[in-house]
Amino acid sequence: MAELTAFRFRTGASLLHKLDVRFKLGFLVLISLAGLKAAPLALCVITFVLIAVIIDTRLPIKVILKELRYFLILLLFVFIARILTTPGSTLIQIMAVSVTREGIYDGSLVCWRLVIIITLGLLFVSTTRTSEIKAAVEWLLIPFPFFQGKRVATMMSLVMRFMPLILDQAKETADAQRARCVENRKNPLYRLRKFAIPVIRRIFESADKLAVAMEARCYSENRTDPWLSSGLKDWVALFVVICLCAMIILI
Amino acid sequence: MHMNIIEIENLSHRFPDGTLGIDGINLTIQEGTFVVISGQNGSGKTTLLRHLNGLLLPDRGTVRLSGVSVSKDLVKARQIVGMVFQDSDSQIIGETVYDDVAFGPENLCLDRSEIKRRVYDALKAVGLTGLAEQRPHLLSGGEKRRLAIAGVLSMKPRVIVFDEPFSNLDYPGIRQLLEQVLSLHKAGRTIVVATHELEKVITHADHLVIMKDGTVVRDGLPDEMVKGVEAFGVREPYNSRPGMEIRSWLN
Repeated sequence: MAELTAFRFRTGASLLHKLDVRFKLGFLVLISLAGLKAAPLALCVITFVLIAVIIDTRLPIKVILKELRYFLILLLFVFIARILTTPGSTLIQIMAVSVTREGIYDGSLVCWRLVIIITLGLLFVSTTRTSEIKAAVEWLLIPFPFFQGKRVATMMSLVMRFMPLILDQAKETADAQRARCVENRKNPLYRLRKFAIPVIRRIFESADKLAVAMEARCYSENRTDPWLSSGLKDWVALFVVICLCAMIILI
Repeated sequence: MHMNIIEIENLSHRFPDGTLGIDGINLTIQEGTFVVISGQNGSGKTTLLRHLNGLLLPDRGTVRLSGVSVSKDLVKARQIVGMVFQDSDSQIIGETVYDDVAFGPENLCLDRSEIKRRVYDALKAVGLTGLAEQRPHLLSGGEKRRLAIAGVLSMKPRVIVFDEPFSNLDYPGIRQLLEQVLSLHKAGRTIVVATHELEKVITHADHLVIMKDGTVVRDGLPDEMVKGVEAFGVREPYNSRPGMEIRSWLN
C-alpha cells in the first residue's frame, strides 16, 4: 500500500541520508526561494545538481515518474494556460486563441521551477525519517512559545505516515465502486458523493484504530526523539548551498 | 504456586450509545499461564481485553494487575500488559521495522542505547533481525503479526494479550505465529488469546474462558469444557467431535 506514494522515506546510505535534518530543511527553503526567480541558465545549474543528488541517493526514477504522472498532467495544464494567456508575438492562431512565443517561454520556466521544487521535496522526504522531521520541527518551534511545537510536529508526522494508507483506501473504494459499474452513472456530483463518504468514514475508522494502538504503547508527547547532531559535512553542505543560491540569484 | 497477575472483579462497561459491552465479569489469571478467551462475534472479548491495559475504563468493578488497580497507573498497566491487535496494519506506526519496534520504548523516555538494545532483542525474539531497515508495509501478513509482537516485546510486558491473532493468516503464517506464542509462553510470559478459532490453539491452553453476551458463561480446564462450546456459538474442534484427541496445529 505504501507503494502508492512517491513521497515516503527510503532507507539508504547517501550523503543526503547522512545530513542533519535541520540543515536539509534549510536547504529546501533556500533553494526553493532562490529558484522562484531563477533564469534558464540558473535552472540548468540547479537541475544538474539535483540529477547528481538523485543518482547519489539511488531513487528509482522510473517508479517515481509513474507515481507522479498526475502531477505531470497538472504541469501540462499550467503550461497550456500560460501559453494561451501570456501576451506577445503570435506563433499560431486558431480562431480567437493564439499561442505566443513569450507564452511558451514563460510556461516552460514556470513548469521547470515547479518540477525543481517538487524534486527538492521528494529528495527531502525520501532521505529523512518522519521522526527526524518531527524532531526538527519541534526544534525550529522552540523560539515560538505560543506554538505547541510537540503537538504540531506529531500531527505533521502522522499526516505523512498515513498518507499512503489514505491513498490505498481511496483506491480500494474506487475499485469496489468500479466493480459495481459506477462508471454508468454520468453525474460527477453523484459519483463524488458516493466516493467521498465511504472514504472519509474509513479514514476516521483507521485514525481511531491508530489512536488506540498508540495509546496501548504508552504514547506521550514527551518521548525520546531522534538525537539531532550536526557535523563538519553539514556545515560544508551549507556553504555549498549558499554559494549555489548566490550563483542562482546573480546569473 | 503461581500468583494472580490479573484480577477482575464485577467488571461492567457500557458504550456511549447505551450498548452493554460486558456485564459483571469476575475472572482471575495466574502468572505464567496460557489462557484462551473464546466466544462468538460481539460476545465482549475485545471489550474485556481493552480493560486489561486501561484502553477502556470500567463503569463498574475493578481490574487489578499484581494487586494494583489499572486505573491508578495507566502507563504501568500498559507496560505490564502488551496488546497485539487483530489488524496489524493499524498497529504499525514506524516507517521502518526498527522505528516501529522502537516506538514503545521511546514513549517510555528510555535512553537511546537502551532503546537500541531492546529493539534488537525483540527483533531477534521474533526472527526479524534481518528486516530492521525494511518498510513494514512490504512485509507478509505473518511477518506483520510478528512485528506487532516485537513492538510489544520491546516494552518488556509480563502479560501478552492477542486479539484474534489468527485472522487473515495463511496456514504457514498461523503455524509461525503459534510457535512464536508458545516460545513466549515458555519464556515465562502470561499469554491471553481471544479467538473464536479454538481448534488452532486449544491444545496448548491451560485455561479456557467462554463469553456470551458480555458475560463469562464458562471458565475452567479446556479438556472439560470443549464438548459444550457450540452452545455458545464457538465451533468445537474437529477431532473432539468423535472423541479423538485434539492435536496441535504444529504436529
